[in-house]
Amino acid sequence: MSAFQIVFLLIALLTLFSALMVVFARKTIHSAFWLILALFGVAATFATLAASFFVVIQVAVYIGAIAILIIFTVMLTRRSMEESGDQLLPGWGWAALVVLIVFGGLVFMLLQWQGIFQPPQVLTAGGENLENLGMALVMPDRYVIPFEVASVLLVAAMIGAIYVAGDHKKRS
Amino acid sequence: MNPAPFELSMLLAILPEILLVVLAALVLLLNLGVRHRAEGVLGWLTAIGLAVIAVLSAVFARPGDTPQLIFGGMLRLDWVSFSFRLLFLLGAAITVLVSLEHARTITGEYLALLLVSTLGMSLMASSANLIMLYLAIETTSLPLYLLAGYYVENQKSVESGIKYMLYGAVTSAVMLYGFSLLFGLSGTANLAMIPFRLTQTGVSPLLVGGALFLTLVGFGFKVSAAPFHFWAPDVYEGAPTPIAGFLSTASKAAGFAVLVRVLLVTFPQLASFWTLVVAILAALSMIVGNLLALTQRNIKRLLAYSSIAQAGYILVGVAADSPLGVAGMVYYLTSYLVTNLAAFAIVWLVAQQVGSEDLDAFSGLGKRNPAIALAMLISLLSLGGIPPLSGFIGKVLVFAAAVEAGQVALAIIGVLTSVIGLYYYLTVMKILYRPAVDEAPLKPSLSWRTAMLICVVLMLALGVIVAPWYGQSLAAASALF
Amino acid sequence: MVPASYYLILSVVLFVLGALGVLLRRNALVVFMSLEMMFNASNLAFITFARMYNALSAQVVVFFVMTVAAAEVAIGLALMVEIFRSKRSVDIDQMNTLKG
Repeated sequence: MSAFQIVFLLIALLTLFSALMVVFARKTIHSAFWLILALFGVAATFATLAASFFVVIQVAVYIGAIAILIIFTVMLTRRSMEESGDQLLPGWGWAALVVLIVFGGLVFMLLQWQGIFQPPQVLTAGGENLENLGMALVMPDRYVIPFEVASVLLVAAMIGAIYVAGDHKKRS
Repeated sequence: MNPAPFELSMLLAILPEILLVVLAALVLLLNLGVRHRAEGVLGWLTAIGLAVIAVLSAVFARPGDTPQLIFGGMLRLDWVSFSFRLLFLLGAAITVLVSLEHARTITGEYLALLLVSTLGMSLMASSANLIMLYLAIETTSLPLYLLAGYYVENQKSVESGIKYMLYGAVTSAVMLYGFSLLFGLSGTANLAMIPFRLTQTGVSPLLVGGALFLTLVGFGFKVSAAPFHFWAPDVYEGAPTPIAGFLSTASKAAGFAVLVRVLLVTFPQLASFWTLVVAILAALSMIVGNLLALTQRNIKRLLAYSSIAQAGYILVGVAADSPLGVAGMVYYLTSYLVTNLAAFAIVWLVAQQVGSEDLDAFSGLGKRNPAIALAMLISLLSLGGIPPLSGFIGKVLVFAAAVEAGQVALAIIGVLTSVIGLYYYLTVMKILYRPAVDEAPLKPSLSWRTAMLICVVLMLALGVIVAPWYGQSLAAASALF
Repeated sequence: MVPASYYLILSVVLFVLGALGVLLRRNALVVFMSLEMMFNASNLAFITFARMYNALSAQVVVFFVMTVAAAEVAIGLALMVEIFRSKRSVDIDQMNTLKG
């Protein structure tokens, strides 16, 4: 086992353990903190895949924005749940069965797939091409349409979220 | 087919989408000042704007003889995207006109979100790339989550927004995972290229089938086909009624546009597999939708289950995997759009005056406003598939396609469940003409009457004059085969 | 170097854990966090494929998925704060004003 593999396995274990704790932690706020750790783990796997730009935006967007927003909401809705009672939905046995089948199916699929067992190709010099990515996002022959649509979507989501969470007494 | 290099004339092809964004921005700007001085002016502006966009798109954004991939293969300009775009614009315009009935729902935010969602649908129908497709689906859904929860003072509405969002996000996560496997297997995001790459690399069909199955979860949710239907009754019941109508028609149509494009263009090799899956979904939806509708006492829930059943009939056309089937699907969706929007509009009007959405709220409608009762009667008969209304033609086309494709069993299930459907539509009709205690006349606004007139005229016209729109539907179908 | 299969197995397990959280937990906020893990699993798969095929388009997908996730979180949390104001709870099991 090479050093690289050991590093990967450590990161993977950290990620999966945190993910498990997100699902099974009793307190919502604990789940949220474990989520941050899980997201960090994913960022670290991105680093081992030579996608350093995505490491940065994973940390900035997922941890810096999304996880923090979730923590704010957890604090805003404090005492929103009985944290001592049953945390599972009724009928969780069936849910667990479904999840188990999905898991078995996906792993079975992956094992059939020859292409993924080869070691990855060596990256050419420069490797990651951030400049290409940036250009591709604004070139009409590449991804400019999705890029613009994403911006429209973000603006619409912000307007709607402000409307929904806004002060209604003042409005009417 | 390679994407054509960018030229300025391509901007004309997305002119309707650009104008939708411009209109949304305009509405938001005017919202700052105009709304308080002139009630309803924003709504009329939006509705007229949508009509203008529809005309402009019919003139300028017409596809050529051969389908064209534009903007680096993100969008495909063909008769499918053209026909569906007109459908969405029509649906949005009717929804806006109906919403005008209540000043609460015509704030700039409401209209802008509706427009952005329409933009997303239009892009869904023309996406030719997994990236574009994912983004278009989310652009459609996210504003709709907000619109479902738009009555913030009403707990039911917010709850329906949350439910819609949670179910929607889960299914879209599953669908995205399917996309990622599909990308991994083929190494390309171009929908039309995927089948070629898959044959080249010789991936086992089992793997592709698994990825296809995951994506079908997402599409099944959008068209609310059983067993992915569980959200529909709750969400329709809680959401503002015009939005429920919009969800059950335009949003469903967008789901079908994506479904046929992905199935026919990307998975032709797996046709025997997916026709079977779609046929099962169709049969389940027809049976579950119609049977559960029988027990409903709330009119919006009844219409929700009826819309699940209708999704089943439309899926029969998809399962046929033939030009006739797809043409039947487009025709059915058009007829269903105007019919169901009319039904929801009437439900809204009555429920507001009576203050209840129970079936009994409709008693005496025949006395209170005979014209509206007649319109309700026509739309229920059209939903039930009675000639000479548009719903009949739609049903004939999809069942004929099923028989032609050798799926006689599916056609038989369709006819039998239609009879059940007719039973509960008739129950509602009977209530319309029952005497009631409160017989105060109903007086809808001008905008509401305009919307209703459009719906009823189209219901009758599509039932009698079949050829023009059927030709259009066939043109759309031939772009996919 | 590690072959792609390692990453894909990690991504599948992450996806399944997310699905488990979505299906099991009553707290809407935890459901939301589990959803984010499912999206992350897809992102991980896409980045793996980007490395495998040296394909830019897979990276572009991840870029857009993150954008959409941010928008979705804003919407979802706004709705949840709103329901909390009236209900004092974010328990999915208690969201039963809509019978069904």
